[in-house]
Amino acid sequence: MSALSSLARLQAVAAGIAQPLATVRHCHVSDAPLVLVPLKLAGEAAAPLAVMLGSDPGDPSLLVVPQPRNRDLRFAFAASLAKLVLNHIETSRGAVEELPPGKEGEERIRYGDAPQLLVPNRGGVAFLRMMGRSTRFRSTEGPYAVEPAVPVLGRWLTWFADRHDHPGSSLMGAVTELLRLHWATGQSSLEDGNLAALTGWIDPPAGLDGPAAAARAEDPVVWPPAGPTTDPTFDNEVLAPAIAGYDRSGGDSRAGERLHAAIAGQLTPTWDLMWRAVGLLRALPEGASVPRRWERDRDAFTYYHQTFGEAYPQARRDPPVRAARRLHDLERAQDAYDAQRAFDDPLVMAEHRLSGQAFGGTVTECDPARLDETGKRPKLRPLLRVATRDPVRLDAGATVCSADRPALKGRIVELDDDGGVVLELTGGMGRKLVPEAGVVPEVGDRVCFTSLTEGSFGAAKFPDREDTPWTHGGPPGEYVPTDEDAEEDWS
Amino acid sequence: MSRSPGASSPDELETRIAELRASVRRAMASGDRQKARELRAELRRTESAWDDAVLGGGSGDPEEGRGLLPVREQVHQALTLLGAPAAPKLIGSVYAAFFPGAIPGSRLTSLRRDEERSFRTAPYARPYYLCAALTADLLAPARGLLTVSTWPLEQRIVGPLSPRADFLSSAVRLAEHAGRGAPDPGVQRLLWRFASNIPGAVTGTVGTVDPAALAEAARAELDVHRDPDRRRRESAAARARERLDDAERLFGSRLRALRAAGRRPATNGETDR
Amino acid sequence: MTDTAPDLDRLRGGAPPRNHDARTIAALTSNPGCARRGVMDAAGVDKDAVARELGFPAPFGQSQFAITRGNAFEAQVKADGCAELLTLLRERLGLDVPEVAYDDLEVVAGNEGRELRHSRTRRLVARALENGEGTLFDHPLLRLEIAGHPAYLEPDVIAFQLAGRLHVIEVKSFAVVDGQAEPEQVAAAARQSAVYVLALRRLVAELGHDPARVSHDVFLVCPENFSNRPTATPLDVRPQLAVLERQLARLTRIDDILAELPGDLTFDLGESLAASVRAVDARYAPECMSGCEMALFCRDEARACGATGALGRSVRDDLGGVDTVGTALGLADGSLHPSDDLAETADQLRAAARLRAEALQGVA
Repeated sequence: MSALSSLARLQAVAAGIAQPLATVRHCHVSDAPLVLVPLKLAGEAAAPLAVMLGSDPGDPSLLVVPQPRNRDLRFAFAASLAKLVLNHIETSRGAVEELPPGKEGEERIRYGDAPQLLVPNRGGVAFLRMMGRSTRFRSTEGPYAVEPAVPVLGRWLTWFADRHDHPGSSLMGAVTELLRLHWATGQSSLEDGNLAALTGWIDPPAGLDGPAAAARAEDPVVWPPAGPTTDPTFDNEVLAPAIAGYDRSGGDSRAGERLHAAIAGQLTPTWDLMWRAVGLLRALPEGASVPRRWERDRDAFTYYHQTFGEAYPQARRDPPVRAARRLHDLERAQDAYDAQRAFDDPLVMAEHRLSGQAFGGTVTECDPARLDETGKRPKLRPLLRVATRDPVRLDAGATVCSADRPALKGRIVELDDDGGVVLELTGGMGRKLVPEAGVVPEVGDRVCFTSLTEGSFGAAKFPDREDTPWTHGGPPGEYVPTDEDAEEDWS
Repeated sequence: MSRSPGASSPDELETRIAELRASVRRAMASGDRQKARELRAELRRTESAWDDAVLGGGSGDPEEGRGLLPVREQVHQALTLLGAPAAPKLIGSVYAAFFPGAIPGSRLTSLRRDEERSFRTAPYARPYYLCAALTADLLAPARGLLTVSTWPLEQRIVGPLSPRADFLSSAVRLAEHAGRGAPDPGVQRLLWRFASNIPGAVTGTVGTVDPAALAEAARAELDVHRDPDRRRRESAAARARERLDDAERLFGSRLRALRAAGRRPATNGETDR
Repeated sequence: MTDTAPDLDRLRGGAPPRNHDARTIAALTSNPGCARRGVMDAAGVDKDAVARELGFPAPFGQSQFAITRGNAFEAQVKADGCAELLTLLRERLGLDVPEVAYDDLEVVAGNEGRELRHSRTRRLVARALENGEGTLFDHPLLRLEIAGHPAYLEPDVIAFQLAGRLHVIEVKSFAVVDGQAEPEQVAAAARQSAVYVLALRRLVAELGHDPARVSHDVFLVCPENFSNRPTATPLDVRPQLAVLERQLARLTRIDDILAELPGDLTFDLGESLAASVRAVDARYAPECMSGCEMALFCRDEARACGATGALGRSVRDDLGGVDTVGTALGLADGSLHPSDDLAETADQLRAAARLRAEALQGVA
């Protein structure tokens, strides 16, 4: 939160409708994402109840576990889910791009596309992560054998959930989070967790304003929760009798039918909302660096898909070196993602201007041809004076770059008390002693400079697995799944 | 599959079901239980009308399998094998493991009340009654434990050490009983439940139990508990003989406990050990 | 303390007082500045009934699946004289527990009266401290003074005595998967356990013993991974204890709040209920939604008067403590002139408004 986004919330309250927090879309939205709306049984860690899924708004599939406490039914559900999800993964690869060979001359390829999974909220991500954890170690032979697709599904779900932790990745998205990245509502972040209320603020139905739409959305009878937890009154009044009926019937089809219908009624409203949200996101123009981040996602997908057959299921816990490297990667990704969004979007850059790490204003003086001749060879060092009303919190000597053209670099020479910043440009103007045309801003131009940089967070070196220091337990044993993993209770 | 006059179409029924479900949930959410009950009854009627209209006549509930013996006989057999006060769940598991058939769980809940009623109507008309365990301090019925009326009072009274002591002595008895033949998987499962919770009782692989090893481990821990537990039980039994009438001795004394507690809150067996 | 009792009885309108549980106390400390909640809780008002009567029923329904699961797990852990629990203490936590006694404190001879149960709890705890008798005490009934008024506490826990020290054991049915549970659930369990530890410590002190004989390490018993098998995790609740003690000490004394209220105020259900409730100030924050039955009513009230707190504490902090939406927007667009202490906030808001407008203009 910042004063800027808090102000946006106040403006939303006053206007009765959500206010933008972004002028462009900061996430990738696939042409055919796989939307999943999972439900779980209350009180259980990972007992799936149902999932509605598909990549065609008009044609969802509904999978139901008629008795969530029955482990055979649960694995049958996991197998059906696996079939649909794995099919989506395999059909979302696109054409293979050949890349220039790597440093050691190895072949490199990248899939032209990647699957995108969308769930309603963070709870949905957490639930799929749990589903992944509870299925990836299952054995396909022996006393507790499951269908081969089940552990494969488990590994993919684990991978997607892991990518979700990666800032800027669009492989698995929680729709409430994506919407909140782009709009501020006039309610608290707690209430924003309700997908129906959130969409109500952003895009209220005809005849209603944001608060009215949100109020309606808070009635669980009108708008069932978007999962994975179900509404308690639904559980007690509808679901429990339906499950009991199924149990009594000994698998009779009409009892199953009734259960199916009851659950479909809980999921369909959220299913429709999910696609409405996808539409809202699609309507925003795509941010300039979104394709680049999606390319990283495609790289990650290509690598995991290519090496899937050789790898073991992800370990229960990361060994120390991998954990440290992962943390470092996440921090780097966060840093780059924050910077990229600011360069893509003046409204995000405004946050940095408010915090004093960027400033915008009008060029009042300019010496585009100034040379610094103190050294052996003269250097092109144009001077600019920018008049700004922003609360600049940068010191003389700070390195900055242009928000519109990050290649244009400069250094702050002087800050005066009445909002003037004198800037010496140091790079990004071509190789000659005369700047390339149109590169140096002219008097009267609006400019914005910032100390943000995209690659400031350098890659760190980590020891190889075999060199894990003794402080971290020494080299860990190679992870090999055990029978115990495979036979773990799932009761 | 006969439709009552004025029967509605499936569509109308579906609309009605949706309305009723919403109304029941609203009623519950606002705490109006009375209204929820009425609506719920109507909902069930409408649902079964929908079933009839759309899915055809009901198949009916499958008959629940009944054991050959009356429930009280089954419980008596299991308790006799255990030889100590036990909760209905354990009684059910023991019966399922060692005897043919199963005890219908729903019948166990009302058992003690039925037995008490029977005793009060015609005392000692039956050879045995399934009755309460009594707490050592207040001689009140202990929650959720069943015993047999023919057991000595000491065996039917439970003090603080008794739950563990009885668990261990039951383990010994079941292990000895199982040790006479080759334990089948059901018995193994039951013994595992004991063995996995007694130090030193698990000797082989996970899930399998050597009855002799179980009995030995249980006896070793029982040695720590037996004497202080027995002393406590005996002194409470003496008190019960002195103060309780026949029915109270079997089913516990609620009234007396309340009265005594009201007058002298810090009394009775709490300190006599 | 005794003088307030008749006032509190009147506030309840003759209804019997509700027991506190650790959830209500833990929630109480999360919003210590709320006088409304303080008074209603101290008087043991049935807030659920009040909220319903006001047309804002609390959304705290529980699914029967969750309830069944919780009860079944607890029953399983306690079955056969707490056999599984004992194994956890011995094997998982490596404790040497040679002799095991079990005392059920939930019911005293079929009677569930609070005074009776509390006095029995006292008696058994005293005995345990004096001569080490007793091992597992199921459902002790404790007391804790809240805002100068004693409240009964219904802990759903077991007190465990070993070598003269008492530990709190809390059985929860959320899963611990690969050694980790959902952080919010662990945090809530830790907050609740801290309340029990504190109440038990106060009791130990009353009995003339060193309160430190109640350990700050509580044992959390949860299902492991996706099974029904229990696992035990020691949980150090010192941080939660420190917060709790501080918040309890800071709680405005109920007497002081009562002194400010009309002498005939009552939360008796009826026509004047809404007016009575409004007569006591609330301090609504979205966090109230997870713990207080009155939350929806208070939210409605806070929204109606444009309170920035309804948007969340962080929003209010970002706004430098400006209380209402109208004021903040007025400062932002310059139509209101700030007092000296708000000058800095106003500058910030005006800059934010200008920057937003500038960035959005570029798009339009």
